[in-house]
Amino acid sequence: MKNDRQRTFLLITIPILALFVCFNTIPLIRGVVYSFTNFRGFGKYDWVGFRNYIDLFSDARVGKSYWFTIKLAVVTTIVVNVISLLLALGLNSKIRAKGFFRGAYFLPNILGSLVVGYIFNYFFTYIIPALADMTGIKALSSSILSSPGKAWIGVMIVCAWQAIAMNTIIYISGLQTVPEDVYEAGGLDGATGWKQFKMLTFPLIIPFFSINMVLSVKNFLMVFDQIMALTKGGPAQSTESISYLIYNNGMSGGQFGFQSANAVVFFIVIVAISVAQMKFSSSKEEQL
Amino acid sequence: MKGKRAKYLGAALCATAAALSIQGCGSGSKDGRVEIEIVQYKPEAANYFKTVEEEFNATHDDIHLTISSPNDAMTILKTRFIREDYPDIIGIGGDINYSYFVDAQILENVADYEGMKDINQGYLDIAEALELIPTEGTYIIPYVANAAGVLYNRDMFAEHGWEIPQTWDEMLQLCDKIKAEGILPFYFGFKDTWTCLAPWNAMAVELAPSDTAKQVNKGQTTFTEQYRELAEKYMKLLPYGPDDPFAYGYNDACTAFARGESAMYPIGSYATPQILSVNPDLNIDSFVMPAADSADARTLNSGIDLGFCVMDGCENKEAAYEVLNFLYADEKIQKYIDDQNAVPCKNGDFRLASMLDGMLEFIESGNMTDYQDHYYPSEMSVDALLQTFLLEKDVDGFLKTFDTNWQRYNRDIIRMVQDYENSH
Amino acid sequence: MKHTSTVGKSNKAVMVLLILGLSTIIFPLYMTIVIAFKQPSEMTNSISGILSLPKNWSLDNFREAMEVTDFWRSLGNSLLISVTTIVLAIAIHSLMGYALGRNKAHSKFYNFVYLFIVSGMFVPFAILMMPLAKQTAELHIANWFGVILLYVVFYMPMNIMLYSGYLVNIPIALEEAARVDGASTWRTYWSIIFPVMRPMHATVAVITALAVWNDVMTPLIIMAGSGQNTLPLAQLNFQSQFGTNYNLAFASYLLSLIPILIFYAICQKQILNGVTNGAVK
Repeated sequence: MKNDRQRTFLLITIPILALFVCFNTIPLIRGVVYSFTNFRGFGKYDWVGFRNYIDLFSDARVGKSYWFTIKLAVVTTIVVNVISLLLALGLNSKIRAKGFFRGAYFLPNILGSLVVGYIFNYFFTYIIPALADMTGIKALSSSILSSPGKAWIGVMIVCAWQAIAMNTIIYISGLQTVPEDVYEAGGLDGATGWKQFKMLTFPLIIPFFSINMVLSVKNFLMVFDQIMALTKGGPAQSTESISYLIYNNGMSGGQFGFQSANAVVFFIVIVAISVAQMKFSSSKEEQL
Repeated sequence: MKGKRAKYLGAALCATAAALSIQGCGSGSKDGRVEIEIVQYKPEAANYFKTVEEEFNATHDDIHLTISSPNDAMTILKTRFIREDYPDIIGIGGDINYSYFVDAQILENVADYEGMKDINQGYLDIAEALELIPTEGTYIIPYVANAAGVLYNRDMFAEHGWEIPQTWDEMLQLCDKIKAEGILPFYFGFKDTWTCLAPWNAMAVELAPSDTAKQVNKGQTTFTEQYRELAEKYMKLLPYGPDDPFAYGYNDACTAFARGESAMYPIGSYATPQILSVNPDLNIDSFVMPAADSADARTLNSGIDLGFCVMDGCENKEAAYEVLNFLYADEKIQKYIDDQNAVPCKNGDFRLASMLDGMLEFIESGNMTDYQDHYYPSEMSVDALLQTFLLEKDVDGFLKTFDTNWQRYNRDIIRMVQDYENSH
Repeated sequence: MKHTSTVGKSNKAVMVLLILGLSTIIFPLYMTIVIAFKQPSEMTNSISGILSLPKNWSLDNFREAMEVTDFWRSLGNSLLISVTTIVLAIAIHSLMGYALGRNKAHSKFYNFVYLFIVSGMFVPFAILMMPLAKQTAELHIANWFGVILLYVVFYMPMNIMLYSGYLVNIPIALEEAARVDGASTWRTYWSIIFPVMRPMHATVAVITALAVWNDVMTPLIIMAGSGQNTLPLAQLNFQSQFGTNYNLAFASYLLSLIPILIFYAICQKQILNGVTNGAVK
C-alpha cells in the first residue's frame, strides 16, 4: 500500500519534472552560457570570460534600475496586499450584487496594457493637473510622470491598480477554505470585526497570504508591461526596471550577452528574496 | 475510471504532439514556383506591401512572393536569425542594426544588382558610411528616405507673415516673434524619449561632422569637443516649448500641433500621417532646421528609412532580383511616397508630398546628411541621455556621460575599428 | 441570530466602500468605451474633449478593428491556445501540486523538486527567449503547439504553489478513508482530491487564462513567421512608433475583453461553490 503510494508519486513527478527541465532549466543554462560572451543576439561572438559580470557591478544604470525596482516592489506589495485583503473580505461578506462587484473589480486585470497605458498617461498628464489647479494643490499641478523623483509613484499606482484583482481572487479562494462553523464558534465568543479577523480568519488563510506575498514581490520585481505602457523607463531613466533593461538592451539592443549576465544575477537575487520569504512564512505557519 | 481517462488524455496528447511535429516541418515551394519571402520593418506601410505582394503574384507564374510587415520586426528577425530561419529579403532602415548585420556577415553583397545605378549616390554613400569597418561590397539597396527638420503650420505662418528662418539667429528671432503674439512656437513630446533625438539630429548635421562617431571610434576626437555647441543650442529651444515638455508624449504633441496649439513642431516627415489623422485639413510644410550662423551651412537631415537587403544563403538570387525590380519600378516607388510622405532614394521624376516643399531644394541638389543617431547603439539609450540632459540642463555632465558611456557600450567595436586601422 | 443588526450595518458600510472603490474602475472603463467609438478627428488633449460622448455611436470602429485583426481567425487561435493550456494546466499542475504538496514536508527529494520548480518562476523571460526560439525550432514545434507547451511550463511554478498551498487545508484523513477501502493512490486522487480542489481549479483557470490571453511575447517569438496570429499579436498592428490608432485599438481591446470576462464569470461561481462546509478541517 505504502509502496503503491510512493510509486504513484514518483510516476507523477518524474515526467512532469522532465518537461520542466526541458523547457525551463535547459534554456536557462543556454542563457547562462551566453552571459560569458559578447553575443549580440545574432552572428558571431567571442568569449569574454567574466567581463560582463565585472561590468555589471560597475554599471550605474544597472544599479539605479535595481534600486528603482526594489523600491517599487516593496511599496506596491504592501499597498496591493492590504487593499486586496480588504477587498476580498468585502466581496466575501454577505452583500448584494456580489457577482457584479466581483466581475467589476476583476476588469483592470484584463484591459490590455496599451489601453491602461493610454488612460493612465492621460489621467496623470491632463486630469490630475487640472484637478490640482482647481483645488489649488501646487504639488500636483504638473504631471508626476514627468518628474524623475515622482514618476515611480505613477508606476506604482498603475501596478497596484492592475494587480489587485489577481491577489483578491487568491484571497477569496483562500477565504473559501475557512468553514462557516469556525465563525459560528467564534461568534459565540463575541469575536467580531478586527478581532475575528486577527484571531480566526487570518491564521486560516496564511498559506494564501504567503503565496500572495511571494507572487506580488516576484511580479513587481519583474515589472515590465506597465513600464513599457507608461514611461518607457523615463523620465531621465528614473523608471527603468531590471526586466525592462534586460529586454530593451538585450533583445532590442545589441547587448544580449551582457544582459544575460544581468538576468542571471537578477534571477539569483529574486530566488534569494523569495526563499527567505517562504522560509519566513512557513515558520509562521508552523507557529500557528 | 477516472484514472483511465487521464491515461487516455496523456496518450492523446502524445499523439497530437507527434502529429504536429510532422506538420511543423518546412513547407516546400508551392506548385513548383520559387518562394521568395520578404520581412520588412515598417508596419505602417503594411497595406502598401500587401498590394505589392498581390500584384506581383498575379503577374508572375514562376515566383511566389510573400511580404510580411510585422510589428516589432527587429525582435522577430533576431529570433528568426537565431533559429537560422532566414527570410530571402529583409527591408530595414539604415541604422546601427544594419551596421551590425553587415558586421555579422549575414547579408549578401548586392553590388551586382543592375538597379543599383539608378539609386541616388548620396544615399549609397550614407549606406557605405554605416559599415563599421569598410567592406568591399554593398549590402543594402536604399528604397526611401525620411527627412527631419521643423514642421510648421503653413496657414498660421501666412496669416502672420512670418518668414522661414535661414540661420540660428533668425530662428530665435522668429520664436520670439511668435511668442510675442501669444502663440506657442514649438510643441515637444519629450515624454517619449525618442522624440528628443529629432531636434538633436536636425541640428547636429550642421554643427558636428557627419562622421563624429567614427572619428571617436578611431580615437581622433571626443563628443565633448564636437557636441558642446549643439547641446548649448538645443537647450535654448526649450523655453519656446510647452511648460512641462516631459509630460507630453509623441502622440500628445502630434495632437496639439494638429489642433493649432503651436506654430512649429521639430520632428521628422514621418509624423505627418498621425497629425493629419487628427486634423485632415491642416496645411503643413517643413523647413530645414537652421542651427549654424550662415545660411549656406544648412543641410537636410535625411537618412535611409527603408532599404532592402538580400540575406546570405538566399537560394535564388535571381528570383530575389526579379522581385526587387518589381519593387523599384518608378510607379511603385511613387505609390509608396504618396502613401507615406517619404523621399525616394531612386533618381527620377517623382512627385513629393506638399509637406516636403520646404525641403525640395535640398533633396534635389543632394545636400543631405545622415542622422547622427544612426551611429548610436540603441542600448546606449542616447535618447534617454538627452532627456536627462534637457531635464537637468547640465551641459558638462551630459557631455562627460556621453563620452564615458560611448566607450563602454562600443568597446568591442572600437577595438575592432582600431585593429582595422592598424592593419591597413 | 442576535448579531443580525450589526451584520446588516457593517454590510451597508462595506457596500458603500465597494461602490466608492468602483469609481476607480468605472472611470477608465468609460474612457475606453468612449474612445472606442470616436473617430481620430474627435481626439483632443482637452479634458472636456476627451470625456465627451462620441458624435455618433457607430460600430464602424469595431467593424474595422475586426477586419484589421482578422478577428475570427485570431480569436480561434487565441481560444485554441488558451483552452488547451488551461485544461493541461489543471490536469498536470494539480497532479504535480498534489505529489509535491503531500510529500514536501517529510521528504527532502520532494521538497527540493518543489523549490526547484517554484524557483523557475523567477527566471527572467528575456534570458530564455533566444534559447527557446532556437530549441522550439530544433524540435519542430515553433507553432501553436510549442506555445502551449511553453505555457504549461511557464505557469507550472505558480500553479504548483497554489495547489500545494490549497492542499494544506485538505486533511489527509479524506484520502485515508478511501485507502482503507482499497482504492489506489491514483484513483483516490481523481475521485476524491481532484474534485475537492475545485475552487483552486477555478482560480488556476482564471489566473492562467488571463496570463495566456493577454500574452504577446511568447507567440511573438515562437510563432513569428508562421502566418498564424493570436489576438494580442494581431492587435500589435494598431501601434507603431510613428502613429497609433487608439480608436481602433480600443475597440479591438474591448472586443477581446468579452470572452475572458465571460470565462471569469463562469469560474468565479466555482471558486465560491467549491468547498462544502465541514468537509475541511
